Amino acid sequence: MNAVATAIRVGEASTALACSASVALNAIDISKHFGGINALEHVSLSLRSGEVHGLIGPNGSGKTTMLNLLSGYYQPNSGSIRHRGEELAAATVQRRACIGIARTFQKPRLLPTLSVLDNAILGAWPHSRASFLATALGLPQVGREEKALRAQAIEILHGIGLGHVIHRRANLLDHAEQRFLEIARGLVMRPRFILLDEPAGGLTGNEIDHLANVIGTLRDADIGVLLVEHHTDFVFRICDRVTTLNVGKMIRHGTPAEVRADPEVIRVYLGA
Amino acid sequence: MSESPFLSTAKLFALGFGGLLVVTLPWWAGNQYQLHLAALICVYWILIAGLNLVIGYTGQLSIGHVGLLAIGAYAFAILVGKFGWHPGLAVAAAGALGGLCGLALGLPSLRLPGFYFAMATMAFALIVNELVLAQVDLTGGGIGLPGPLLRAPFDSPQGFYYLVAALALVVTLLSWNIARRMWGRGLMAIRDNPVTAQAVGVPLFRAKLVVFVFSGVTAGVAGALFASLQSYITPDTFVFEMSLFFFVCIIIGGRGSIVGPFIGVVVLTALPEVVAPLAKLGHFFYGMLLLAVVLMVPEGIGRVFEVVAERLRPRVVRHDEIAPDLPRLARALRSRA
Repeated sequence: MNAVATAIRVGEASTALACSASVALNAIDISKHFGGINALEHVSLSLRSGEVHGLIGPNGSGKTTMLNLLSGYYQPNSGSIRHRGEELAAATVQRRACIGIARTFQKPRLLPTLSVLDNAILGAWPHSRASFLATALGLPQVGREEKALRAQAIEILHGIGLGHVIHRRANLLDHAEQRFLEIARGLVMRPRFILLDEPAGGLTGNEIDHLANVIGTLRDADIGVLLVEHHTDFVFRICDRVTTLNVGKMIRHGTPAEVRADPEVIRVYLGA
Repeated sequence: MSESPFLSTAKLFALGFGGLLVVTLPWWAGNQYQLHLAALICVYWILIAGLNLVIGYTGQLSIGHVGLLAIGAYAFAILVGKFGWHPGLAVAAAGALGGLCGLALGLPSLRLPGFYFAMATMAFALIVNELVLAQVDLTGGGIGLPGPLLRAPFDSPQGFYYLVAALALVVTLLSWNIARRMWGRGLMAIRDNPVTAQAVGVPLFRAKLVVFVFSGVTAGVAGALFASLQSYITPDTFVFEMSLFFFVCIIIGGRGSIVGPFIGVVVLTALPEVVAPLAKLGHFFYGMLLLAVVLMVPEGIGRVFEVVAERLRPRVVRHDEIAPDLPRLARALRSRA
């Protein structure tokens, strides 16, 4: 019975893959246990480039676990994560960074003593070709590469709205600036997909509007955005598709209108 | 970086003045002993500049570099004294051996979390000391070995001083190049936030290992020069306190700074001489200084300079609003290669 259900789900996921013309990051039939607790059970999720995909659910429903599985901090007990035919379920975090999966954290993780600009340029690590020896010797191509990466990071910082603090130490930023800087660092990685872990947390209404605009711009640039968020109004406003989790299981998947109208979603999450 | 012209002028002036001091030192130094001290500072700095990348930038608390220094020193003394190698070649060989031993030490130990890594490096230093004592035929055991002079023109105190000063400058440039580029950011990410470092693709273990091997090479070279400078080496020369001394220079100087640890090594090497009349209190001042820094400027002397520089920088008027420039963002995203 379970095996049949699994096969059907795998089938669905692969048709979804075959149908979509765009590139996708597919989590197929993922299960993850922590000790005796099933954090995720047979959950599938397909994040396509150029879409904003919301992942919502009550506390402890497995949203952040899913994000950690996609970015490689956890490895699933069963199931597979595929991108362009490559199996990623056991791939390192670094490997995923190199193929273009960027992420932010619930609590921004910045380098406190470095400037905003240096924090952003750090995201260009996967694109830096300079070896340790070439860097130490100060070879000219290292300087050229550094200049190009720096210029790109400056453009992204100005674009995202941090131009006014570009040389400030990161620990002197306010909360919203830290959140935007994390997104900027992810964008400097030139990602195909960016996974945002509660990016609207602690932002004011005005800042949330800016965030929505930025995410819209990412979609237009053909980046796939996974939005893990508690702020449901925000999710329903900007997402193309939404997946809802409850205690480790997927309860509904579809357009914002479909998910919002689903009686089960209303019962467990939205409230009557 | 966009610095005010005043600051870059001040920096250039300081550099020029410092360079002049270093070059003219043999003329104004009061006696041969002061010249010897200056050369010793340079030799220490060759090791510490490499170690600074490990401790100050990558946050890996190695307290075993005295072992690598001893390996370089004995390699030099044996290759020149027993096998008749050219001293220049022996210095290079000592560096290579230091790098190899750094690799051998780093491979098993760099995966350990901070405190255990420190213990592993300490154990390494103790093992090296015991091996030196045991291998009497090769190392002279407790009696030690003479540290041969370099060839002319580096066999005089002045010549040797200029050589080590030049090498210290080279190592400073190498580590500065690392610190200010992508590698430096990656290393500091490993130090401050390994989770972030992973997320942007920094290979934690490999990056740590590369830096550690580099510090092994500089420690090996420093060891060879140290043997030549001290003219005689025994296992007692390479006491464990020396490792702590290197460590303390970097902590007092400040993490993530190059100037800071340099000031640290100058002050801590010169301090016992300055307070020579109170020789017995040398350790007392050393301890006081460490305590003062840790309590008052935990970020180190280097940070004090940064704060002063920030004060001097003209205040930028700040409008506190995040205001995305979406067309510019879209252009930046589209222009990716």
